[in-house]
Amino acid sequence: MAAVTPTIHRSNPGLMKEIQGLGAFDVSACYSCGTCTSVCPLSDGKTIFPRKLITYVQLGLEDKLLQSADPWLCYYCGECTDSCPRKADPAGFMMATRRWLTTKYDFTGISKALYRSHVADWIGIALLSFIAALFIYLLHGPIVTSTVALATFAPVDIVETGDIVILGVLSAFLLVNVFRMYYYTVYTKTGKEIAFTTYLKELFIQLPINFLTQYKIRSCTPGDNRDWFSHWTRFAGYALLFVLAVFLMYEWQTDQFYPLWSPIMLIQYVAAGLFFFGLSAPLYGRIKKTKNMYKYSHATDWMFLLMLLATGVTGVLIVIFRYALLPWDTYIIYSVHLMLVTSLLVLEVPFAKWSHMAYRTFAPYFARLAELKEVGEAV
Amino acid sequence: MTDGTPSSPPPERYDVLVVGAGIAGMEASITLGDAGFKTLLVEREPTIGGKVLLLSKVFPTLDCASCISGTKTSRVSHHPNIDMRTYTEVEAIRREPDGSFLVRLREKPRYVDMATCTGCGDCEKACPIIVPKENDFGLRGRKSIYIPFDTGVPKKAVLDMKNCIYCMACERACPADAIDFLQVEKVREVRVGAVLLSTGFNLFPAEKKTAYHYGEYPNVVTAMQMDRLVGPTRPYNSVMRLSDGKEPANIAYALCTGSRDLTVGNPRCSQVCCMYSMKQAQLLMGILPTADITLYYMDIRAYGKGFEEFYQQTKAMGVKFVRGRVAKIEETSGNDLRVYHEDTEGRGVLVKSDHDLVVLSIGLLPNPGIATIFTNETLELDEMGWIKMRNETQSPSMTSIDGVFVAGCASGPKDIPDSIAEASSAVSQCIAYLTQMRGLAPSGVVPEQTRQESNGEASGLHREVPVEAK
Repeated sequence: MAAVTPTIHRSNPGLMKEIQGLGAFDVSACYSCGTCTSVCPLSDGKTIFPRKLITYVQLGLEDKLLQSADPWLCYYCGECTDSCPRKADPAGFMMATRRWLTTKYDFTGISKALYRSHVADWIGIALLSFIAALFIYLLHGPIVTSTVALATFAPVDIVETGDIVILGVLSAFLLVNVFRMYYYTVYTKTGKEIAFTTYLKELFIQLPINFLTQYKIRSCTPGDNRDWFSHWTRFAGYALLFVLAVFLMYEWQTDQFYPLWSPIMLIQYVAAGLFFFGLSAPLYGRIKKTKNMYKYSHATDWMFLLMLLATGVTGVLIVIFRYALLPWDTYIIYSVHLMLVTSLLVLEVPFAKWSHMAYRTFAPYFARLAELKEVGEAV
Repeated sequence: MTDGTPSSPPPERYDVLVVGAGIAGMEASITLGDAGFKTLLVEREPTIGGKVLLLSKVFPTLDCASCISGTKTSRVSHHPNIDMRTYTEVEAIRREPDGSFLVRLREKPRYVDMATCTGCGDCEKACPIIVPKENDFGLRGRKSIYIPFDTGVPKKAVLDMKNCIYCMACERACPADAIDFLQVEKVREVRVGAVLLSTGFNLFPAEKKTAYHYGEYPNVVTAMQMDRLVGPTRPYNSVMRLSDGKEPANIAYALCTGSRDLTVGNPRCSQVCCMYSMKQAQLLMGILPTADITLYYMDIRAYGKGFEEFYQQTKAMGVKFVRGRVAKIEETSGNDLRVYHEDTEGRGVLVKSDHDLVVLSIGLLPNPGIATIFTNETLELDEMGWIKMRNETQSPSMTSIDGVFVAGCASGPKDIPDSIAEASSAVSQCIAYLTQMRGLAPSGVVPEQTRQESNGEASGLHREVPVEAK
């Protein structure tokens, strides 16, 4: 092993309390036996969690914790918590650390507020719903009651513009957060230089496959793909809806009544099916506390799940009301749906739980870069 | 079988009842007897001596364990003031209005006449039934009728009726005609002035730690089995793996098995495992000089006199100490074993180490059954089930009941010298209680010679008491 140059780290004695405030666990009980590291299915002789991260927190080494992308590599199988001889719940600790990191990557402070205060959650939802309602009130088209004319009520070009604006703004926020994640987990680490081409090569190797398949979840539960499948259906359902909302808006939202088996309707059924199926496992699990992953639910976990559910249900209702030829019901539920979508996207994507789609995707890439920095590119 | 009613004559009287004849119970009985108190020592096993008798050597002096307990077993069995009852269980203890205790004892039938049995072992040879031997922790077999332990006291056979097939081979073989199939359980009552509990501990059942696969992988053994393997009365006359009889070349010790582990319900340190593991490591280095020995530990708790030096000596002898708890054990080809642990002093990564024998340093658990036998008073236990001391710092041997004292591991894990010291402490509190609180004089034989000698010499205790002195 190469000689280690001593570095002086500033200790934050409040770090433990800070992280405990974001989850239910008692890692102050940890006596560093290393059982969690040894039973972790991800342990491959290279990863160093959860025990070492717990030590960082016990010592208040905030910058070391911030520099670690490891929490994003853990998918909460709960083996460590089951075998912890101190019942210190290391898996719950990893989850709380992910919440803490989310608040740290976010530069606006909104994330911190959302994770620490229920009041902030409610204010956020109320405010964004109000803004969405205001836009609908100001910009809606003629209200036709003789038939259901949704595209007339909500002109598609305006909705599409709104889609693009929200997409652009949220992506900007999220990418800034991802850049800050890169800054902490790779840039601030000292080590060997990495060639620019390596950055690109690793990016192409890691990002698309991680984003599209989330295959790493499977490595946590060898032989049992249920968690991965459930997550992937959630993702796929949402991805299809995203495609419909962004690229096929003019075809999707029309005044025309397609036959129920037309292609665009079929895509919609598949998307809804995947989406609800994907939601069922975490909802049932969190209510019944079926496994470690679901035993402790932070307020933001419920917020995310319930808002997704409400958005999905109102979306289905739009279609039902429209085909039942109920104009007012359709317009009202459509407005509620837009209010929910706006709050969900604006709060969750850059600031709260949904940001994991970026952090989880980039973490293996950043971890690989950090490794290359540490050991050099020859390896 | 008996109907449970006591025999008609008035209950026999003793000054003190000592429950459990392990090292603490024996020491307490001897000291009480030496002080002139008539002592009833009750042991539920067929022989006295407890767990110490089964050990190889003791830390940190590496004295022979038999030499420590052997003198006591023989003293107990010959002491004029000690009435020793083996294979007997205390069924109930009731406080009487006069302050004494009425004790109901259940003597289990041995099916062997204690007076005529000479312990020759002919019955053992004749018996066709072989079952695992409890005192060797299953390392070898015993017969259905058997002498429980080579150096056990009393050295008398006992018949295990559960496994007996009534072939009568033992009865025909016995030269002393001592086999008596008609023996029945006897219930008797005695009256005592005070009770001293030395009921010891239970060993952690290693199969409860499922990640270590004890009982499933043949080469995962407990430290108690290893102590038998290296002891002077050892079963195989060498140390070998249980799967193939090979001499192990690379032995691992998993410390804290069943201790400091909430997944098996025991958060406490068992206090002796670090030291006995190091003791075994030193003995193994002598028996198998070329073997590698690795101890996986969390903290080495070498807190007693000479313990730290013993630890340093063990390290200097070449035993490898690795900090990190064994998380799980996996069997590989040829019944070899792979130990998973974290390199907690290095980078903090998972390390898999291969060994051919893994010894589990099992911890000590309470033996709480004794609490239920007090019928009209409550013996308090602590939250783990150890007997609760009235005040741990100021009166360590006193329990929640006046006149009931505790010594040895019954109140918590401790090593042999501490158990012996505590036995003496309990005895002195017990004597103070009997003579001062109850106003009772010792009712046993007062050995004059001992008294005279003790004036001139350091102590008259623990020397041979002449039987004729009265």
